[in-house]
Amino acid sequence: MSAILAIGRPQLKSAFASVVPLAIFLALLGYFGLRAPGFLEPATLILILKQAIPTAVLGLGLSIVVIAGGDDVVAGGIDLSVPSIAVLSAAIIADQLANHGSAAVTAVALGFAAAIAAGAANALLVTRVGMTPLLATLATSTAYIGLSKVVTANRRIDLSDPLIVTLRDGSILGLPLGLAIATGLAVTAHFAVHRSRWGLRLQAVGGNRDAAEIAGLKVRRFLAQSFLIAGAFGGAASLFVLARGSGSTPGVAETLLMETVLATFLGAAFSPRRVVTVWGAVLGAILVSALSIGFGSVGVDVFWTGCIKGGLILIVVAASALARRSGT
Amino acid sequence: MTAPVLPLTPVSPPAGASDFLVLEAISKGFPGVQALDGAGLGVRAGEIHGVVGENGAGKSTLIKVLAGVYRPDAGRILLNGAEIETGSPDAVQAAGVRFIHQELNLVPHFTVAETIFLGQELSGPFGLRTGAMRRAAEAFLKDSLDAAIAGNRLIADLGIAERKLVQIARALIDGKARVVVFDEPTAPLSHTEIEHLFRAIDALARRGIAMIYVSHYLSEITRICHRVSVLRNGRNVGLVDPVGPDDADRLISLMVGRDIGDLYPKRNHAAAAPWLKLTSLSQSPHYADVDLELRRGEIVGLAGLIGSGREELVDTIVGLARPASGSISIDGRPLRSGSTAAAAGRGLAHVPRDRRNDGLVLAMNVADNINLASLEAVSTGGFVRRGAATTRAQQSAEALDIRPKTVSTAARLLSGGNQQKVVLARGLATGASLFVLDEPTIGVDVGAKAEIYALIERLAAEGAAVLVSSSDPAELLGLCDRILVLLRGRIVAEVTPETTDLDRLVALTTGGDAAGGIAA
Amino acid sequence: MVGTQHFWDREAFNGAVDKVKELGGEVLPVDGGRDNQVHADNHDIFLTNKVDAVISILGDAAVEPKFKALQEKGIPVFTVDHLSPYAINNTTSDNYYIGTTIGRYLADSLGGKGKVAFFNAFEGSLRICGIRAQLAKYVLKDYPGIEIVQPELAEAFANAPEDARKKTLDLLTQYPKGTLDAIHVACWDQPAIGVVQALEETGRTEIKVTAVDAGPDTLEIIAEKDSPFVANIAQQPRKIGSTSAENVAKYFAGQKLLPQTFVDVIPVKGAEEAKKVYAELGYGKLN
Ligand SMILES: Nc1ncnc2c1ncn2[C@@H]1O[C@H](COP(=O)(O)OP(=O)(O)OP(=O)(O)O)[C@@H](O)[C@H]1O
Ligand SMILES: [Mg+2]
Repeated sequence: MSAILAIGRPQLKSAFASVVPLAIFLALLGYFGLRAPGFLEPATLILILKQAIPTAVLGLGLSIVVIAGGDDVVAGGIDLSVPSIAVLSAAIIADQLANHGSAAVTAVALGFAAAIAAGAANALLVTRVGMTPLLATLATSTAYIGLSKVVTANRRIDLSDPLIVTLRDGSILGLPLGLAIATGLAVTAHFAVHRSRWGLRLQAVGGNRDAAEIAGLKVRRFLAQSFLIAGAFGGAASLFVLARGSGSTPGVAETLLMETVLATFLGAAFSPRRVVTVWGAVLGAILVSALSIGFGSVGVDVFWTGCIKGGLILIVVAASALARRSGT
Repeated sequence: MTAPVLPLTPVSPPAGASDFLVLEAISKGFPGVQALDGAGLGVRAGEIHGVVGENGAGKSTLIKVLAGVYRPDAGRILLNGAEIETGSPDAVQAAGVRFIHQELNLVPHFTVAETIFLGQELSGPFGLRTGAMRRAAEAFLKDSLDAAIAGNRLIADLGIAERKLVQIARALIDGKARVVVFDEPTAPLSHTEIEHLFRAIDALARRGIAMIYVSHYLSEITRICHRVSVLRNGRNVGLVDPVGPDDADRLISLMVGRDIGDLYPKRNHAAAAPWLKLTSLSQSPHYADVDLELRRGEIVGLAGLIGSGREELVDTIVGLARPASGSISIDGRPLRSGSTAAAAGRGLAHVPRDRRNDGLVLAMNVADNINLASLEAVSTGGFVRRGAATTRAQQSAEALDIRPKTVSTAARLLSGGNQQKVVLARGLATGASLFVLDEPTIGVDVGAKAEIYALIERLAAEGAAVLVSSSDPAELLGLCDRILVLLRGRIVAEVTPETTDLDRLVALTTGGDAAGGIAA
Repeated sequence: MVGTQHFWDREAFNGAVDKVKELGGEVLPVDGGRDNQVHADNHDIFLTNKVDAVISILGDAAVEPKFKALQEKGIPVFTVDHLSPYAINNTTSDNYYIGTTIGRYLADSLGGKGKVAFFNAFEGSLRICGIRAQLAKYVLKDYPGIEIVQPELAEAFANAPEDARKKTLDLLTQYPKGTLDAIHVACWDQPAIGVVQALEETGRTEIKVTAVDAGPDTLEIIAEKDSPFVANIAQQPRKIGSTSAENVAKYFAGQKLLPQTFVDVIPVKGAEEAKKVYAELGYGKLN
């Protein structure tokens, strides 16, 4: 018999706390369904999922950086530049296809190369130069957007390349192609982060750097990897950004950034352990997109939608912060 | 249920056995300090080898050299006769040397199984084998450490003692551990928890694992260790072999190089006007209906296990937390609760327990840390007079024997015990009328302890009201006029040292059943 | 509706909404906040709400697949200022007349020769802007003395005045006094507000400004004494919006609609004309 005093708290409480935010969202979705006939139909669900794709793919990248760097707001892992990387890669691909007559493979390869290089630059700044991720990626984000403007002369580039059109309109086994690919990416990322040896170590690095070091893990290597992977997801997202917009448009990075950060941290509120997870980021992206369509369907003005979305997100994230504070 | 007290007279290591681990003539210098000067250590298989020494004696540095964190300037390390590479954590790990650091260093949102297997996960074609790891972790905890902890619980949901056991399990899980090093493992634990830990350590010794045990608790050292090495100023000053329950005094004189006489000062303070008063203070679920009166010139102690509500009560008094009901008054006037600034404004000085996080600005130097709370005393018109500030800091550093003596050293570089003294020095420098001292001597060596006790006595003699919260019952009995005992959030007894002995006080804190404490 | 943040957008939007209500219809309004992607995505809402018809104002190519999806669901799409193969009808200003007329006015204001900078971000991506910009350039071809500064400037779609102000300040340092004679905003007028601000800040009011749309805010600037802003082409956004709504009604009444309905524009040259048009379009009285 153990003589240890049990001071541990039951897990029930944290499980309960994660139910509350979910309940808020379910209630809202139910309300939309009542007010706007058609909202709860499968076709709408598909639309919500399709609109969530770019944010979700970026969220995969961002969540991995946050998981590896820890969720401390100032000193922890964050990559504000993932959306800018996507925009830069999209600009390069669009410019190659429309203005240089490059083959799709060449264009995509160039876009991806830029995305990986951008991720590598972030990794270098954080792990070698020792900048905090927040500052480093804020700076590089501005630089990447600047670069994308140089590439496109700050103009929209229309695309009707078969690759982009297929990604936008194609389907596989009755599922929209983009959705199928994004699901594949999410499942892969989930497996890598939450089911593999590498993933557990990545989580340990973010959860407690000293603990990871004591366990003999090469902390810097994991951090660098997380930024590289985020760059790669930025590259992947660029294809979805191009497909969604039928071309590259200046100025989309801001909205993407806002939604990606929201989706990722919103996801944490839904996880039983209150930490950023890959699935959480995907779920967050879907909820943000559902809210946009839902509010539009019941005729709420865009600016009000922005306010209400922000308010809801504050409530959910604050609730989770409170739960976490009292839980430890 | 409480475990029976084991005799714990150590099993003797195989007689005549040669040392399994040898640290030989290790030297390590830092700018301005020779932390180790030819220090050594020999540990046999199945032996628990104690390491003691004053603050700054070089214990932690020696352990870090063994761990490969520092590469020594001179000396070598032999394991089973073969030399191992110094300055390489990987080589040390591969050789089967494991460390139980004082800090828990766990990931709060990991499960017990994930924590134990981190770095050596069980993995199959479908990724991590979560179920297998959970079962293996539970079995290991049960069999090797006699602890029943579910493998899927989160670290954040565990108590301190359980975390410590998980930390130990993690070090041992691969079955390759030959040497285990404990750095002050018992500091955050209650008496019952310590008993449990000792049984786990004892089980390891019986399996032939060599252990190094670093601690300032001499009563623990004399009880469970086979032999003890004493360090002073980076050198070996003695090897006590074998060590027995009566060797504490010998260890002390070896450590400090002199007889420190009585650890506790003679009482010559006298209670005067009522000063601090708590009236039915409650904050569920931590504590309820706490009444307390403290007079000037009086030292009152708070005893209680971790989780008894003692920490929360202290936090409330100093303004870090707000009570749900009840009131606090100082000198007859109510104190605004939940504000440290208000408390400080009413002459309350607080010495926090978690010095690294709450007590020190680690990046600032010792002098600035000491002066931080009382800059008015050394400034004119908003400008700090550097000369005056340094002189004053130098004086308090000397009074408390803070080492190194140069107050321009960064606080971060001080040994643990010396950091604690800096925090105390700052509280003292404020010239407050009410002192709330939370674990004032944690991690402090005996010599410094005696100095700190003398200082506390002097404060009371000069008319200050002093509240001491401590997990060391001996310290409370030696120092206080009265001791209030907290159990599950309520004050269950008020005792005086004259009418109470150590066993009785320990029994009170654990709820009446006389779980024998460590005989001091 | 792509946005309701400036006069033209708002007027076209209100024109359509008011007319639909007047005709007894029900409106589900959505607003893209001047973000073309949000605007495009908003069409999904119409799909899920199974509306009877869609009036879509402005937008870039990102809306095309959405129009296609609406068409496939049997929901007729009516556009304003956006030509699409999936739309029943596009109601718009006479952009051909706008382009040639503003081209002539620009040439006149330069006295037939000089250097002009174009704000021209949307020539390639919005057909209406292509028409306006290319026809203006077509006219300028006949003036060998007029040179268009390369590269052309690209204004932002949202927060255009402030963005154009900054870009103009940069342009002015690049082209010191005497090396630039005019700035033309090829497709709309919001950037021109920022351009005029920049000219006034730097005292470079010798540079002439021309633009398209002539909302009340830019008409007011033209009407000021000695304004550098010399010519503009006024559209009637409210009328465009309401005409589009009428077209929807006609469609449901079974009438045949032409692919495009054009709404008249009114050229404006100089302060006097600006005051006159301001009053004519019911914006009030300027003096
Ligand atoms: N990284 C460092 N840089 C400079 N000086 C150091 C460093 N680490 C330790 N020291 C100094 O070396 C000496 C030995 O320190 P060490 O931490 O080994 O003492 P200790 O015996 O563990 O003391 P304690 O009981 O207080 O923990 C001290 O004077 C300390 O200030
Ligand atoms: Mg130490």
